[in-house]
Amino acid sequence: MARLNMSQIDELKDLMEEAFADLVETYISDCEEKITRLRAAIEASDAPLSAEISHSLKGSSANICAEDLSDLFKAIEDQARLDNLSQMPQPFSDVQDEYQRVKGALQNLL
Amino acid sequence: MVDVPLNILIADDNKSDRLILAAIVKKMGHKVCVAEDGVQAVAQYHSEKPDIILLDVMMPNMNGQEAAVEIKSSAGEDMVPIIFLTSLQDATDLAKCLDSGGDDFLTKPYNKIILQAKINAFSRMSKMHYILQQQRNLISDHNEHMVHEQEVAKAVYDNVTHAGCLNLPNIKHMLSPFSVFNGDVLLAARKPSGSMHILLGDFTGHGLPAAIGAMPLAEIFYGMTAKGFLMDDILREINSKLKKILPIGYFCCVCMVNLSFRKQQIEVWMGGLPDFYLLRHDTGQVEKLASTHLPLGVLSSQGFDSKTQRYSLRRNDRLFMWSDGIIESRNDQGDLFGETRLMDIFNGNQDQEQLFDNIVNTVNEFTGESGKDDDTTLLEVKMVPEAEVGEVDIDMSRGMITGPTDWNMRYTLRGDTLKTFNPLPVMLGILSDVPALHGLSGQLYTLMAELFSNAFEHGVLGLSSDLKKDAKGFAEYYAQRELAMKSMDDGQVMFEFDHSPTQAGGLLTLTVTDSGGGFDYVGKQANQFSDAGYSGRGIPLIVSICDSLEYLGRGNIVKVTLSWNAKGLEE
Repeated sequence: MARLNMSQIDELKDLMEEAFADLVETYISDCEEKITRLRAAIEASDAPLSAEISHSLKGSSANICAEDLSDLFKAIEDQARLDNLSQMPQPFSDVQDEYQRVKGALQNLL
Repeated sequence: MVDVPLNILIADDNKSDRLILAAIVKKMGHKVCVAEDGVQAVAQYHSEKPDIILLDVMMPNMNGQEAAVEIKSSAGEDMVPIIFLTSLQDATDLAKCLDSGGDDFLTKPYNKIILQAKINAFSRMSKMHYILQQQRNLISDHNEHMVHEQEVAKAVYDNVTHAGCLNLPNIKHMLSPFSVFNGDVLLAARKPSGSMHILLGDFTGHGLPAAIGAMPLAEIFYGMTAKGFLMDDILREINSKLKKILPIGYFCCVCMVNLSFRKQQIEVWMGGLPDFYLLRHDTGQVEKLASTHLPLGVLSSQGFDSKTQRYSLRRNDRLFMWSDGIIESRNDQGDLFGETRLMDIFNGNQDQEQLFDNIVNTVNEFTGESGKDDDTTLLEVKMVPEAEVGEVDIDMSRGMITGPTDWNMRYTLRGDTLKTFNPLPVMLGILSDVPALHGLSGQLYTLMAELFSNAFEHGVLGLSSDLKKDAKGFAEYYAQRELAMKSMDDGQVMFEFDHSPTQAGGLLTLTVTDSGGGFDYVGKQANQFSDAGYSGRGIPLIVSICDSLEYLGRGNIVKVTLSWNAKGLEE
C-alpha cells in the first residue's frame, strides 16, 4: 500500500505552491489533536464521537494523499457507526504507527 | 482565470481541507470566504452574499444539511447553488443532502478538475437564472404599467362613451364586453326637442383597437344631439370622421334611431347590422328591420347616403336591437346561436315584458361554459308617452350670471340654403351662450323650429296649414311642398334676435320675417290663435312657451318675446 500517492501529491504541491508547507503543518497539528481525542473516545466507548472524529480524519488524510491512513480511519468510522468499538480489525497502535510514517514522508517533502 | 470573479463560501470544519479548497478556488480567479461550522456558514451567507457555497456535511454546532435548509429558505427565489462536500457513501445520507436543498456533491479527496467543472456549470446556471429573473421582473413591470394605463384609458373611455340616457324607464339594455374595452357601443341622448337619439354600434374586432373609434363617435353623437342637429347631419359627421381615422378594413356597423314621443314615430338608419325586430304590442307580430346601408367609415362623404326609414309606433310597441355577438354566439359544440333560435324566442313568448330577459337567459344558457368570443349587446326600446320619460335634462353647470346678455343679431337664409340647410343648431348654439337660455334650449329649439317651418312653408312656399287636418291632408301637404320647393328660386327667411338684460334677468325678442305674402291676422289676439284653423301652425305650442306673440306687417312678420328670471332659474 502506498504511504502517499505520489502523483497526487505532486499535483497538490503545484496547487498549493508556497502554502504547501502551511498545509502540511496544519494537517499534522490537526491530526495529532484529533488522534488523541479519538483514542480517548474509543477508550470511553463513545461511538458517535469516535465516528465523527474518524470521519474527519479520513477526509483530511484522503485530501493530503495519505490513502492507507485514510482507509484505517474509515475502518474505525465503520466500526463506530456499527457501535462495535470492541471489535477493531487492527490495534489502534497500527493507526498511530502509520500516522508517524505519513508525517515523516510529508515532512521530507518540505 | 475567469471573466467575472465569483464569491465562493467554503464551509468546512477541517482546516487542512479548507486550505486545499481555497487554493483551488483562488487559482480559478474567484474570491473566497470561509466558515468553520454551520452557524458561521449561515452568518457568512448573509454578510458575504456568496454566489456558490461549498458546504461540508459533518460540522459541529450546526451540520451542513441544517445550514443548507436555512440558507435556501432565506435565498427565496434567488439561486444560490450549494455543493455538499462529503465522503459519505450511503445513498440515504446523500438523499438527505438533496432534500435539504443541496444541488451537487464533491467527494474527498478533492479533485481540482471536477470542482472547476462544477463551479463553472453553476456559475452559468446562476447567470441564466439571474437573467431570467430580470426578464420576468421586466415583463411583470411592463404588464403592471400596461394594466395601469388601461385603467386610466378605460376611465377616460367610460366618461366619453357614457351611457347617456339609457337609464330611462322605456329602455332595457345589456352590454357584455369580451375584454376590458368594448367594441360595441350603445348611446342614447335626449334632443332639445324632447325626442331621443339612440345609437348602437359594432366596431370591427374587439378590445382596445375596436373601442378606440367609439370615442370620437360618442363625442359627435352627444355633442351634436345636444345642439339640436338632426340624424342626417350626425351620421354624416360620424361617417366622415371614422373614414378619416380608421385604418382600411376597419369600420363600424351602426343603427341610429330617432324616436319621437310626440309624433309616435321612429326614424331608422341601419348599416351593416343584422335584422332588428319591431314587436307590435297589440298583435304580437314581429316586423323585421333590415340594414340598407354600408357600415359607417366605409364610404366617402360624397358617396354616403343618409336616407332613413320611418315607422309609426303605438304605445308599448318595442324595438329590439342587437350586435351580431348575439346571433353569432357559440355553444361548446361550436354551433352558432343563429337567427332561428332568436325568432323562436319571439314566437314562443307569452309576456312581452319578459321578452328581454328571455333573450338574455336563452343566449346565456346556450353558450354555457364555452365562454364568448365577441362583444354582445342587446337593447329594447319601448314607445311611451313623453311624460313617462320626463323633461329633457339640460346641463346647467356653467352658471347663470355670466355670458352675453346685451346683443342683437340677424340671420337671413336665402335660395338653396333656405331649402336644404337646417339653421336651428347654429342659432341654438348662439342663444345657448346666454347661460339662462342654455337651460331653456329645449323650449327654444321647439319655438324656433315651429317659427322657421311656419315662415318657410306657409310664408315663403305659401302652403296652407288647413291641409294638415287629417292623414290624407298630410300626404297632400308634403306633395305640394315638394312641388313648391322645386319652383321656388328666390325667397328668404330672416331671424332677428335681440337680447337685453332686465332687472330680474333678461328678455329675448325674436322676430321672424319671411318674403311670403303673409295672411290675415287682424283682430286676432294671441290667445285666439289656438282656434282650430291655426293649430296647423303650432301656434298653441308657441304661445305656451312665450310671454307674447304678435303678427306684424302683412302677416309675414311674427314677433315673440321670452323673459327669464335669474332667481327663478337658480332654484
